[in-house]
Amino acid sequence: MSEIIIVNNLDGGYEVYVGGKRRVFVHAVDNVSLILRSNEVLGIAGESGCGKSTLAKMIYGAIIPPLVVRSGSIKLQTRKGNFVELNKLSIEEMRKKIWWTEISYIPQNSMNILNPLKRIKDQFINVFKYHDMNIDKEEVMKYIKDTLISLSLPLEVINAYPHQLSGGMRQRVVIALSLLFNPRIVIADEPTTAVDVVTQRIILSLIKEWREKNKSSLILISHDMSVHAYMDNRVAIMYAGNIVEIGEIFELFKEPLHPYTRALIESLIRKGDKTLRKGLPGLPPDLTNPPPGCRFHPRCPYAMDICRREVPPATTLGRDRYVKCWLYTGRG
Amino acid sequence: MAMNNKLVIDNVTKMYGYGLLGLKKFKALDSVSMDIDLGEPKIVVIAGETGSGKTTLLRIIMGVVKPEYGKVLYKGYNIHKLRGSAVKWYRREVQPLFQDPYETFNPLRRIDSYFYDTVYNILEIKSRDEVERRIDEALKFVGLSLDRVAGKYPHEFSGGELQRISIARALLTHPKILLADEPVSMLDATLRASILNLLKDLKEKLNMVVIYVTHDLATAYYIGDYISILYRGTLVEYGPITKVYQEPKHPYTNALLESILEPDPTLREKYSVIRPSAIEIKEFLLPGCRYANRCPYAKDICWYKLPPFIEVNGTYVRCWKYLDYKEK
Repeated sequence: MSEIIIVNNLDGGYEVYVGGKRRVFVHAVDNVSLILRSNEVLGIAGESGCGKSTLAKMIYGAIIPPLVVRSGSIKLQTRKGNFVELNKLSIEEMRKKIWWTEISYIPQNSMNILNPLKRIKDQFINVFKYHDMNIDKEEVMKYIKDTLISLSLPLEVINAYPHQLSGGMRQRVVIALSLLFNPRIVIADEPTTAVDVVTQRIILSLIKEWREKNKSSLILISHDMSVHAYMDNRVAIMYAGNIVEIGEIFELFKEPLHPYTRALIESLIRKGDKTLRKGLPGLPPDLTNPPPGCRFHPRCPYAMDICRREVPPATTLGRDRYVKCWLYTGRG
Repeated sequence: MAMNNKLVIDNVTKMYGYGLLGLKKFKALDSVSMDIDLGEPKIVVIAGETGSGKTTLLRIIMGVVKPEYGKVLYKGYNIHKLRGSAVKWYRREVQPLFQDPYETFNPLRRIDSYFYDTVYNILEIKSRDEVERRIDEALKFVGLSLDRVAGKYPHEFSGGELQRISIARALLTHPKILLADEPVSMLDATLRASILNLLKDLKEKLNMVVIYVTHDLATAYYIGDYISILYRGTLVEYGPITKVYQEPKHPYTNALLESILEPDPTLREKYSVIRPSAIEIKEFLLPGCRYANRCPYAKDICWYKLPPFIEVNGTYVRCWKYLDYKEK
């Protein structure tokens, strides 16, 4: 299990100019360090607006203003074994060397990103064109057919327009597109938010099967802890731009440490359960002006004085497990 | 009147057009029948996947979509034939709650104006004090107050608060039925529980009937008393929720219940494999059971004849599995 992506103290957000003068800075990713190993599924969980999609965009290298990286680095180990710093590459270099072949991205709301005026086969051909590839037309068609079969889509899909397919099928087509060049790393941003439970299960199983066959790595972003429970090897919990806890999936569900992780798992409604549940009161903070100290303290039931003043350090508890909370600084 | 204290959905069929000009028709809802007794407060869940017709059914109950065949009777009145003041009466009795709290409200309109409009136009109360009292009462029930809401615009509230405000607005008319269309699907998991608890309060404290449309079967069980499951426009199963969850009759219900992911990583190896659906429109156009394509028990008759709605141990189910069709 070698490390293929190393994110070091990444810090950034959205810079907005209002009226050309006053600057608003949305601090969406605050000092995040992460490691992705080969052949593993790393989950990123958190509420909406906690910066998980921004982190994904940064790792993917789609750093286009207003998104800016202020400090830190993202290193990718190439197939040859040397490291490239992704945030130093230009968009043109990313397109040629990295996107689709090394890192692929399944965007949020993926059922709505297909061009409505193009048949599914043309959407595939476009991808080949984008990568300056000249392949024989018949060969391409055969390739597309194989990909569709592997995602158990009927072959009629090839000549269909996007609106003729159901949401779940469009999503499978988008997934087929992203996996076209067998990338080593796939970033899936909420791949199943807008679909029902049955489609969700089908899509997740497909991604899972494909990943196990190709031994690729997956970064899975979702607010749904059940999805993480089904898919992940490790999971990172994000709150307001910070990773507050990270750990191996079984350990994290067995013993959630951070009060936020606990609330996230406890607020879930399970099948066949009618006992009264309480949601987590309050709201995630405004990232243009985050609260001082631990960003979770206004909603935390255990908030102490120190939480309001100082940012908690990462307390390491065993391999692959750390938590950022003052409650645990005495331990370990 | 006691006899008629019911919401009866009687053989409702709704056709939609498809194809280039929309001239070809398919049945978005096919002979859906359901009785809801308004005497006892309860939460009725309508569950199904995207494109199963659940929102269409809700709109038909709301009276904004007219079915091609069949009728909806509320306390004995056909709601699609109401005229004049009877329309207003029905609007008072049945109120909607929508899916996306951010899109429910016009961003350029103050939140409180919706409340004043509802009271003036639908309740026709003119006294300012009485109007404010009614609004405050409704907002207090959802944990807000008129002082907190007055003069503010939608962007000043969070999604959870906006959904509470939508519920309060619906409560202004003291309705008998609340039609909730996926009210929590746009909210974060941490906020969902509180909105669902509020829907439970409507049933317990205000004796209302809540019709809760969702695709999320975990939250459905959390608040529901009865459940009806739709698949491609047909009602496949209807019954008390505990019964349906313990022993699902229809193969589709079974698949739905099995596909719920549990927030517990130790269970991940136990999930079974599900067959993905074929092209949607083809399933809608099947003359028989719409699930035949994916059903592991499909027999010949399933393909060409829609099974009747039959009672099996207290739940209603539309499936040939429970009928010896040679007798028919």
